[in-house]
Amino acid sequence: MSWKQYQNELIALAALLIMLFSYMYKHNQVTSHGEHAKTVQNSIEELKEVVVLKKIWADKKTSKRIEVLKTFVPTSKVKWSKKSKKLTASYTDLGANELNKLTTKVLNLPVMITLLDVTKSGSNYNVELKCKW
Amino acid sequence: MGTTKELLIVYPSMQRVFLKESVNVMLTPQFYTLRKETLPVKYAYQAKKIAPSLFDGLLEESDSYEYMVFKEDEQWVFIAYDLEYIGSFLASKGIERSMVSKIFFAQQVVDKFSAPLALGEKEALVMLDDSMVVVPLAALGEEESPTLKFDKTFTPQKGVSLQGDLGSFLTKRQAYALSGVLLLFAALFVAEGLRYDSGENGEEELQSLYEAYPALQSSYTREEVLNKYRNIDTQERKKRDGVKKLSNLIFKGVTLTKLTVTDSKYKADFTCVSTAVSKKLELLAKKENLKTSKIKNSHNLIIEGAL
Repeated sequence: MSWKQYQNELIALAALLIMLFSYMYKHNQVTSHGEHAKTVQNSIEELKEVVVLKKIWADKKTSKRIEVLKTFVPTSKVKWSKKSKKLTASYTDLGANELNKLTTKVLNLPVMITLLDVTKSGSNYNVELKCKW
Repeated sequence: MGTTKELLIVYPSMQRVFLKESVNVMLTPQFYTLRKETLPVKYAYQAKKIAPSLFDGLLEESDSYEYMVFKEDEQWVFIAYDLEYIGSFLASKGIERSMVSKIFFAQQVVDKFSAPLALGEKEALVMLDDSMVVVPLAALGEEESPTLKFDKTFTPQKGVSLQGDLGSFLTKRQAYALSGVLLLFAALFVAEGLRYDSGENGEEELQSLYEAYPALQSSYTREEVLNKYRNIDTQERKKRDGVKKLSNLIFKGVTLTKLTVTDSKYKADFTCVSTAVSKKLELLAKKENLKTSKIKNSHNLIIEGAL
């Protein structure tokens, strides 16, 4: 008996091995491509999220936009101190409407509220606000 | 290839042989059926396709024949042979399949038989009308003495492999068909694999983002920045949600007397006009998962939530 006796089987076996290696190649490609695509997609999502968050919380226009908290009430009711990217403001004798306006404006501004203290005094309100951005 | 091995002439009345190494075998006409035809075909593979129909009625139906086709001058020569029968015969003469390198047919080298070749003591192989035939020695004339010396120079170029078909579970045709299908799959797998190499996977978008934000190319930097702003975003949203929850608790009979929002909590003091209002407020606060505490000797409530 020699290998020549089974040369037909050997041919088929060789073809089968080639097919198996090809399948393994394809499988590896699919797997590695999937992992790579996942990594790329994660990076894209991460980048986009960073960009969006920075746009919200590190917006250079916030400094200007925050001025609205000073102007919506008479200046006599506001004690305003803005240094660098920090604000300390005290409001006195705010009516209910003014208080609503103030809180709505503060909550809609992209600032980090470190203190918001509202105290009722008679029918009006006193507010102390500390925030940074 | 054929000339490197000894060439053994095989005929029915031959003696049993003992081989030490593999040989080529040349078969006498008893082992094959011959037809010559002039056909309007150009290539041997075309002629081979019609070979079975040419031997209709000439061969035993039960046998599985194979065909060799070659051109001799203007005619196509068709040789039909049964490898199974040939293999069995060779085995009966001590020639195992593994010892047979190639099988040839005497008709393939008809030109070389310039004189009769003795096959044992009673027969001779001779060329008659361009065909090889076996005749009794007695039928030869005096000037036709079997003087031809047979050696490996008679080996034709094209031969038939015996082992490939008879010693194996698959015929050559089956093996090639199966291999073809498997290789086709292999090609498809490779093509698909290569497609993934060149496939679109968001690289372009990522590159354009890197170009727009070069400071964020490093994943460490990105992660650091992301963590910082994610924390801020989460914390600030919680504060705003807390204030909204507390403002939703204000209804008729409830007055907000104090509200405090810090980095760790939000808290509100509410004045209620009656016990019923106080209870309702408490119920609403619990629905919002807020912590409530009553102020002694009053209907007032302190409601707070953690960040």
